[in-house]
Amino acid sequence: MSGEGLVDAERRRFNRLALAPSLIALFVIAGLPAIYLVVTSLTPFQLVNPGSSTDFSSPLRNYLLLPGDPRFVNSLWVQAKLSFWGVLLQVLLGMLLALLLHTQSRVVEFARTLFLIPMVLPPIVVAIIWKLIYTPDISPLYYAASLLNVTMPSLTSSVDFALTAIIIADTWEWMPFTFLMVLAALQTIPDEFSEAALVDGANRLQIFFYITLPFITPILVISGMFRLIDSVKAFPLVFLLTGGGPGSVTEVTNYYAYLLAFDFNEIGYSSSVTIVMLLLVVAVSLGVVWMGRRREAMA
Amino acid sequence: MSGGMTGPVRRSASPRRLVAIGVTLIVLLLPFLWLLQMSFKSNDLILQFPPPLIFTPTLQNYASLWQGAFAASFVNSLMSASFSTALALVLGVPAAYALSRWAGRGKHALSFAILVTRMAPPIAFTIPFFLFYRWIGLLDTVTGLVLVYTSFNLPLVIWMMQPFFETVPSSLEEAALVDGASTRVVFLQIVLPMVAPGIAATAILCFLYAWNDFFFALILTRTNARTAPVAVVNFMNYEGWEWGKIAAGGSLVMAPVLIFSLAVRRYLVSGLTAGAVKG
Repeated sequence: MSGEGLVDAERRRFNRLALAPSLIALFVIAGLPAIYLVVTSLTPFQLVNPGSSTDFSSPLRNYLLLPGDPRFVNSLWVQAKLSFWGVLLQVLLGMLLALLLHTQSRVVEFARTLFLIPMVLPPIVVAIIWKLIYTPDISPLYYAASLLNVTMPSLTSSVDFALTAIIIADTWEWMPFTFLMVLAALQTIPDEFSEAALVDGANRLQIFFYITLPFITPILVISGMFRLIDSVKAFPLVFLLTGGGPGSVTEVTNYYAYLLAFDFNEIGYSSSVTIVMLLLVVAVSLGVVWMGRRREAMA
Repeated sequence: MSGGMTGPVRRSASPRRLVAIGVTLIVLLLPFLWLLQMSFKSNDLILQFPPPLIFTPTLQNYASLWQGAFAASFVNSLMSASFSTALALVLGVPAAYALSRWAGRGKHALSFAILVTRMAPPIAFTIPFFLFYRWIGLLDTVTGLVLVYTSFNLPLVIWMMQPFFETVPSSLEEAALVDGASTRVVFLQIVLPMVAPGIAATAILCFLYAWNDFFFALILTRTNARTAPVAVVNFMNYEGWEWGKIAAGGSLVMAPVLIFSLAVRRYLVSGLTAGAVKG
């Protein structure tokens, strides 16, 4: 039918017109920068030496330097520790919180919103909040410890506790995220399942391990992966609480790349560090998409 | 959520559970409340322990902030967040509509590219933007910030708006098309009004992401276009440890966020996960 053909052609034209500006914009503000980053990572570019931005004489130099750079290797290790403990605590505590709040009551429904506050605060405000908590003179935490006759070390400047201090703050900030995701999953579990189990004489712990947990495992994994991706971006906390120190105890890869580019002016080398980080993020993102599809296929 | 069901497992909250929830809430929000109360205290009072439960609040910290350079940075934050939100919506809403009605090949690849843009660590964009802005003279300008913020807000709009468009029944559109209306008219006059709540939620999330940014503003601005989050940190570093002012600054930066985000609570998860998980 020629009438429908006309409508289709008109629709296609509209679609092209609607998509084009976004695609062009995305190419210019995201695609080009990505390409430029790759190009820069192949040069020894330093800001003080403009000619070096087009020096492609040994393109893989930066990448070959990476494995032998103890600070880079250390930053990956610090990142791994921060990500591992942060994600683990956030998933675990978020789940417990969701189980606690998975109940029906007007008051609790209002409380749920309040539990989300840490997550929606600007990250820099979260960093300021924990700066206050970790500064002995003005901190309620140190005051409480002194009441108990405990002398607490300065957490953020201690080699042993600095990373822990950041993990605690990060967990406080992002636990609401896993909480919200798990709560949404809990609410999709049909009541009949646990009712039937109760009739069969199962206790609460058994219901949790045999019904609830299998049901929410996919969402635990997915929210954990999202947190894993985002944990690479932890910047304000490190910037404000420890500055990567003491030494480089809390210097995550993101922070090292920042120092390289904007403190040491090693733009080229910093770009190669960033590319490695980007590849890791893409790998995890692919995993998330793959898992999401599998879940859709199963549902 | 199925309301009104009082099965044996999901019965209404027991008093013991309510107490546990209350205690957890207080403990978790204590650090946040500490910042808030500090912003209303004079510096002497801040250093006083045990902290007095009842004190005369002062607005002195807020007043001295407002008289300083902080007000200008607050305006910069407002402008860069608003303009980038508007730009992302104007570009992204039609694109999301087209994508939601498009079953062609390449949809998955495009979606993934958009997801990666959303997930990439900010530093990946900061280095190229910094070099480019330095060359073209956009460093330390609100325009520069608007462009950077659009780089993460545009993918967010495209992701978040698609499910909203999918809820619009296509029979409505077809009826109008049969009556001879053009796709453009159908989109503007029939579909858009129906997704208005979705646009509002998306707009608020875009605004919040731009408003919350610290990293881009730290590197791409100096004095003229400095945003509120950077300004707070700056007087931490350069004006000594005036805790009252720092707390007041932090409270001002978080005020719009708290108000807006509670309004879009329902969409927080789909925004944070770039739409990959529907909350």
